[in-house]
Amino acid sequence: MLSRVADSIYWMARYVERAENFSRLLLSTQDLLLDAGAEGVDEAQFWQPIIATTGDEDAYNALHATVKGNDVTEFLALRADNPNSILNCIRAARENARTVRDQISNDVWECLNALRLFAESAEGQAMHRTQSAAFYERVLSRSYEFQGIADSTTPRGEAWHFLRLGTCLERADKMSRLLDTCSALSLEMSPHPDARPLRWAALLRSCSARHAFQAYHRKPDPKKIIEYLLLDETLPRSVASCIAEVHTALLALCGTGVGHQMPEAVRHAGRLHADLAYTTVDEVLEVGLHEFIDDLQMRLNQIGDAIFKTFVLHADEHSHAAAAAADDLTMPALGAYHADMDEDAQMQQQQQQQ
Amino acid sequence: MSSLFRDYQPESFFDEVFARQDATRPHYGGMLGNIGSLSPGDYAALQRTVDAAFLRQGVTFTVYGDDKGTERIFPFDLMPRIIPQREWEMVEAGLIQRITALNLFLNDIYHGQKIIADGVVPGDLVLSASHYRPEFRGIKVPHGIYIHICGTDLVRDGKGDYYVLEDNGRCPSGASYMLENRNAMKRAFPGLLHSLPVRPVDEYGTMLRETLAHLAPPEVIDPVIVVLTPGIYNSAYFEHCYLAKQMGVPIVEGRDLIIRNDRVFMRTTKGLEQVHVIYRRIDDDFLDPLVFRKDSLLGVPGIINAYRKGKVALANSIGTGVADDKAVYALVPKMIKYYLDQDPILPNVPTYLGIDPKECDYILNNLEKLVVKAVNESGGYGMLMGPSSTEKERADFASRIKANPRNYIAQPVLQLSRHPVFVDDHFEGRHIDLRPYVLYGDRVRVVPGGLTRVALKKGSLVVNSSQGGGSKDTWVLWEDRLDMPAETSTAA
Repeated sequence: MLSRVADSIYWMARYVERAENFSRLLLSTQDLLLDAGAEGVDEAQFWQPIIATTGDEDAYNALHATVKGNDVTEFLALRADNPNSILNCIRAARENARTVRDQISNDVWECLNALRLFAESAEGQAMHRTQSAAFYERVLSRSYEFQGIADSTTPRGEAWHFLRLGTCLERADKMSRLLDTCSALSLEMSPHPDARPLRWAALLRSCSARHAFQAYHRKPDPKKIIEYLLLDETLPRSVASCIAEVHTALLALCGTGVGHQMPEAVRHAGRLHADLAYTTVDEVLEVGLHEFIDDLQMRLNQIGDAIFKTFVLHADEHSHAAAAAADDLTMPALGAYHADMDEDAQMQQQQQQQ
Repeated sequence: MSSLFRDYQPESFFDEVFARQDATRPHYGGMLGNIGSLSPGDYAALQRTVDAAFLRQGVTFTVYGDDKGTERIFPFDLMPRIIPQREWEMVEAGLIQRITALNLFLNDIYHGQKIIADGVVPGDLVLSASHYRPEFRGIKVPHGIYIHICGTDLVRDGKGDYYVLEDNGRCPSGASYMLENRNAMKRAFPGLLHSLPVRPVDEYGTMLRETLAHLAPPEVIDPVIVVLTPGIYNSAYFEHCYLAKQMGVPIVEGRDLIIRNDRVFMRTTKGLEQVHVIYRRIDDDFLDPLVFRKDSLLGVPGIINAYRKGKVALANSIGTGVADDKAVYALVPKMIKYYLDQDPILPNVPTYLGIDPKECDYILNNLEKLVVKAVNESGGYGMLMGPSSTEKERADFASRIKANPRNYIAQPVLQLSRHPVFVDDHFEGRHIDLRPYVLYGDRVRVVPGGLTRVALKKGSLVVNSSQGGGSKDTWVLWEDRLDMPAETSTAA
């Protein structure tokens, strides 16, 4: 498989998952506010962590001086100048799908194309204004559709493994950020005492795990929730479960090796997989949830970088590319589509057609 | 027939369907018996279904000059254009004759230049063509073929005679729409296509692959073929992808390729893999920053050297644009006579050359009667439609022609034939042309039919997609189904 194709499939899956996670997060926060609103709680206190979750705090602060619900939802859902808005994620997922149309099934392509047509349409924009919940639900159901179609039409070869890598790494990343914001809240701030259980319930809803959790432990005990979302491999959205799958996919892609021959990506994923499997929630809290997640985030990035280096950049090719750049030859960026694509290349692509 | 055609007026044009207002041409009988009986409401509903399917499937092209890179569907009119067997046999023979002569011409001017030495065509005109690549003179190309894929534009005049309007021997586009249009017709009118002996087009992908495989270096048994695209912002990106999928080969961008020891490789997740044949849909200028435009971000440094050394094949070859030059086009009848000792089966449209002082005077004095074209433009750009032009546009073109007469030609305005096109709830006549696709591999094959392009704007003569054109499915109707040639019989 072409390296660029692998990277595009990986990012296609990541962007779909990102759009799905933001949609669910916004939906559950709105629900939480509806429940908490009657108790007269400060709105900003609910939205601030949401922006923190996305990792785009700086971009938001550049646009807005204060944290207001409408600004946050617009920023996260539809702003064209937020590269990670739901709309831009959907576009990027679809553009990546477009660059690999010959590698994915028509049904996967049509699903993402339809999602993008909807998100960009006047109908979609109006829906977000007047009944945003319906908008988020539409994005969610399209994303589930994507997962289902991809699952039932993608041959279990390289394409499938790169797709799962993208989905699972993104899911693990967003899950850990979600957990992080909640831990910070419960430890450092003292919200309205009645609001606290609501918040934990909202966390479970934000990752579609509320009913699964309730069937498992009836009482929303924060420690149990952390254990469930972070370490329990039976929950498909838990960090442990995602990393287990990343590990499996990487083994399928590059095989295992011993000692220094073991591919870097496999080494990082395997070690993280084992750490999560052998860590207890008490140990996590002893380190501190925030500190634990900081380290986790760093290791997730390590895996992502190693995947890019192994499959797209190739170590030897990389040195050659650097040499070419030194010769003052233009070296176009390798890899997938992202919103900030080079405009010169874009212009040159627009050649006249016969 | 239903009210769809009640007020239809062929007017003074050659109408493909109606010989007179009350008389249809016989080869349209079978189709009209079916489609013609639909109510306007049912017909409009079918048309909407097809349009929605195209948008959903992303059968689109990208509109330039719009910073959002808007994608549009290529408007498709459901009523097919039909070419009867006898007409098609003439067109096919004419196209084969023409591409044969063009390839002999290119091989000649990139080697001995005998046609110039013999005084048949003026050397200064040919060698000043901007797409002539002197650095390619003396380079041997696989099997001496330069144009492997040609999209020749044909039109019919007021009497219904066929003419060649231009040859597109660089990167002709549109074949994917031909294929998708047929698929749409199969879904919209399943019974109809089954009941009529229409020549199929869906083997195009196989034919194209065979044509490309023929170019591979002889020592390669199972060549790796790729489609090289400028990228997703190119207006024809959908087509590049579609054709790659039809052929079952990878679609690559320049950045996916790398040269090692004069061989071309693609970067894969498992390392480098050698490529033998490249169907490139990038212009010469952008292909190799070491040879052509240095600022190209789309090309592959060193690919031209690999081609020169015969380590990789390119289709089409380098420098074929010289045959597309609209001033060189005017010389094709002479080429046919010179190389094949035949008369052209398909005539050229009479053409006045800006480079000829007498003809240039004629052009300048008759701008309002002529179509003026820049010799290297395509896609309907760089054109003056004399009769519908403003005084200012004519003055503007006159000064451009005077400044660079070599760069312009002019032709009389042809009254292109018309075809009924569905508008709101009834049919109206619109001008059309025809782009058949010619493949030159181990032999020359013409896909039966091609892409019929429609000038959707009332009265317009410009059919290009970038200028408000649409398309129709094109049916080559055989007399006897059992007598239809097999499209993919491989060479003995």
